[in-house]
Amino acid sequence: MKNQNAAFDPQWAWESYVPSDERPWTLKWVGHLYRRAAFGASWEQLRQAMEEGPARTVERLLNPSGNTDEFETSFDEYESAAANSDSTEGLRAWWLRRMIQTPDPLKEKMTLFWHNHFAIDCGKVKSGVLALQRLRLNREDALGNYAHLLQAIVHHPTTFLALNAEKNRKVLPNDNFAKKVLENYCLGPDMVSEQDIHETARAFTGWFLIRNECRFLDREHDHTNKRILGEEGDFDSQDVINIILRRPDAAQFIVRKLYRFFISEVEEPAHSFLEPLVRLFTADFNIKKVITVILKSNLFFSETAYRKRVKSPIEYALEIVRGFEANVSTTHLGNDLKALGQDLFHPPTVKGWLGGRHWINSAALIGRCNLAHALISNSAPYEKQLAFDTVFEKYKCKSDEESCQFILNLFLQDDLDETVRKQLYRSTADKKPSSWLQRFTIDVLTCPEFQIG
Amino acid sequence: MKFSRRQFLHTSAICSFGSLAPSFLQKTAFTAASKKVKTDRVLVVLQLSGGNDGLNTIVPYADDEYGRNRSTLRLQAPEVHKIDSYCGFHYEMKAMWEQFQDGHVSVIQSVGYPKSNRDHAGALRDWYTAYPHDENCETGWLGRSIEYANQVDHTDLPGVLVGNISMPLALNAERTIVPSIRRLDQMQFQQEPLSADIHKTDNALLDFVNQQTSIALEKSRKLTNITKDIHSSVEYPPFQLAKTLRTAAQLIRADIGVCIIYTALGGDGFGGFDNHASQRDNHAALLRQLSESVSAFINDLKHDRLLDRVLLTTVSEFGRTLKENGRRGTGHGAAAPMLAAGAQLKPGLIGQCPSLTDLDDGALKHQIDFRNVFAALLDQWLCIDSKEILGVSFDPIPLFQS
Repeated sequence: MKNQNAAFDPQWAWESYVPSDERPWTLKWVGHLYRRAAFGASWEQLRQAMEEGPARTVERLLNPSGNTDEFETSFDEYESAAANSDSTEGLRAWWLRRMIQTPDPLKEKMTLFWHNHFAIDCGKVKSGVLALQRLRLNREDALGNYAHLLQAIVHHPTTFLALNAEKNRKVLPNDNFAKKVLENYCLGPDMVSEQDIHETARAFTGWFLIRNECRFLDREHDHTNKRILGEEGDFDSQDVINIILRRPDAAQFIVRKLYRFFISEVEEPAHSFLEPLVRLFTADFNIKKVITVILKSNLFFSETAYRKRVKSPIEYALEIVRGFEANVSTTHLGNDLKALGQDLFHPPTVKGWLGGRHWINSAALIGRCNLAHALISNSAPYEKQLAFDTVFEKYKCKSDEESCQFILNLFLQDDLDETVRKQLYRSTADKKPSSWLQRFTIDVLTCPEFQIG
Repeated sequence: MKFSRRQFLHTSAICSFGSLAPSFLQKTAFTAASKKVKTDRVLVVLQLSGGNDGLNTIVPYADDEYGRNRSTLRLQAPEVHKIDSYCGFHYEMKAMWEQFQDGHVSVIQSVGYPKSNRDHAGALRDWYTAYPHDENCETGWLGRSIEYANQVDHTDLPGVLVGNISMPLALNAERTIVPSIRRLDQMQFQQEPLSADIHKTDNALLDFVNQQTSIALEKSRKLTNITKDIHSSVEYPPFQLAKTLRTAAQLIRADIGVCIIYTALGGDGFGGFDNHASQRDNHAALLRQLSESVSAFINDLKHDRLLDRVLLTTVSEFGRTLKENGRRGTGHGAAAPMLAAGAQLKPGLIGQCPSLTDLDDGALKHQIDFRNVFAALLDQWLCIDSKEILGVSFDPIPLFQS
């Protein structure tokens, strides 16, 4: 309780966590870190992190050692091959596979963050090649420079296509496009006036999409003076983005989203509380610096953050797959995740997946549990894909008790209510022996504690 | 401190989006919070994909203009099930015509909208969003209705897609995940999760998932009981649509809170009703599937005394041209009738027959805007404030018995 109160002191909150007797480094926090900064972990990874402590583990997640280039290059090639169609189904499958196998999971997680932040429905783009280009922009700067990323995304053909702004004529500035860019990508809603929106639209005149490429036609650009967010001049679209980036609101908007993504969906932090991060971000828009502070912080390793997010369908499924160190058909998985509300490349609106409690309704919950069931029991369409027994052998579980405890450690870090624990053991006691460990595992993966993270 | 924390837990458990929603969401939340959505009523929307030929569905057999313009496709008086001395149902629609006689099917005439789109994608968009000609609208009219029910009444699972089609824009919602159900077992736990005793923890999010788990368990079990119950089954014809509607009837019977069901005949997107050539047999076959499936659905619900709670209506992106083309087919048109089924409908023909002489570029002009029909479905059937869904106020057409 003392720590929880202290969490509201921003200085303490953003200082690096150093394990102590009072706040020891336990498996609970290792699992927490891997849920947020990766898509779950194998037992080996959890064990290694237990030994190495928080500082080194966070460092390794931020800067993975070893040869990641080889992995990235080969997956870049697979993706390129899959992009040769109007549909994004192939790309979706390869991206999910990448998330499962990557030696650099934080980068993929942040790629997903930007994919959601710069949300568009790629159904409108009708080009796998362009969808892939956009994905790569998000990945290249996933932990890089936000100013660079924002300029690149806003000026990418996919943005103009998806937001119905293929022709930005001098006489027809597209206010709707400007509004969506300002409110969803840059500053958040209700931060700009109608005039700012209209003047921004004028600044974007001259951009035309010709054969899926952006062309700037100077004669169609409105060169007259514009007044945007208090600044005045003959601005073009890049100037507008620079003006926006000079506003602390722009950094605040992103930091707030990062807070939701890494710390908690439950509480909206106060302005002043985020101030240290906002100041840091405003300095040079280095995304990695901010995430480093977040992942190392006292706040991150506190009850304020622990189990304060509903897992997205992707997180839910991938934690199972990565826990079992398995590979499954990501074509099928992509379809199942779509049914659960998270169809990569097709968020419902330009606001992205709003997540949180919206991930859960009775149908979605049944779907998630049935997916876990299908993966663990190797039933359709995941026949012979997840070798259930392998991990128990690999980690030398010698008895039934050890196997049960292993599952509880791997997926819940043994942190569960005692009544739930009793129920878990009771429910498997009277089941037929052949598949009881599977039943036990499914019980663990479908319990409410595993739906949140 | 302690008190306010408790209070926070309490409110967030009740409010379905509570403090989890960023502040900007709450601004877009619906304002009419006082009105109660009728969750015991169900609206089934059946899309006739491809643009149904209304003139060969409700056939103006006695109109000379009809005969003159349809040299090969025209149906003669003996080929229709007569409504009156002017028009009647297509010969394959006997079952629906009989339901019409019993007052369980009504026909809404000449439905369309101003400057209607003649291409499939555009017209579908217009019907799906109910914001015609606004290409920036990202959500569907039923998606918004589902969200409304969700937010105003905290209803779990107000709407579903049933059948073998992909999720249409009509059901797209900003926040709510709308399930697509092909088989009922998708709505049933393959292995029931541990039924958590609902004891409060100090984590509101965990409490929420606990609560949702028991709701889901209850719904899953209700469906399991329904599917076990074999003797309630009324005979359904061997069509895919009939299978789908049977699933819909089971969802309704299971009483799991679903109040909006969407499905389609004629396939995904622009489908089977798009008959530019050799229309006659293909169209007849589809109308037979429609008529017999819907009729079986009505009988099934009637058998269980559920018909009072259900309203089915067809939608289609456009009708066809009056004049047939040189390939025994028809082109993309405009206005067409909507067919409605239920027990509380104003019986008979609603609205006027379309004029076959006052045309708009070869197509029938609409006399009823589809949004006036939607307003009746929303305001008077589901008790969802149609203005919140359609943006502006549309007068509901007189669709129901007073």
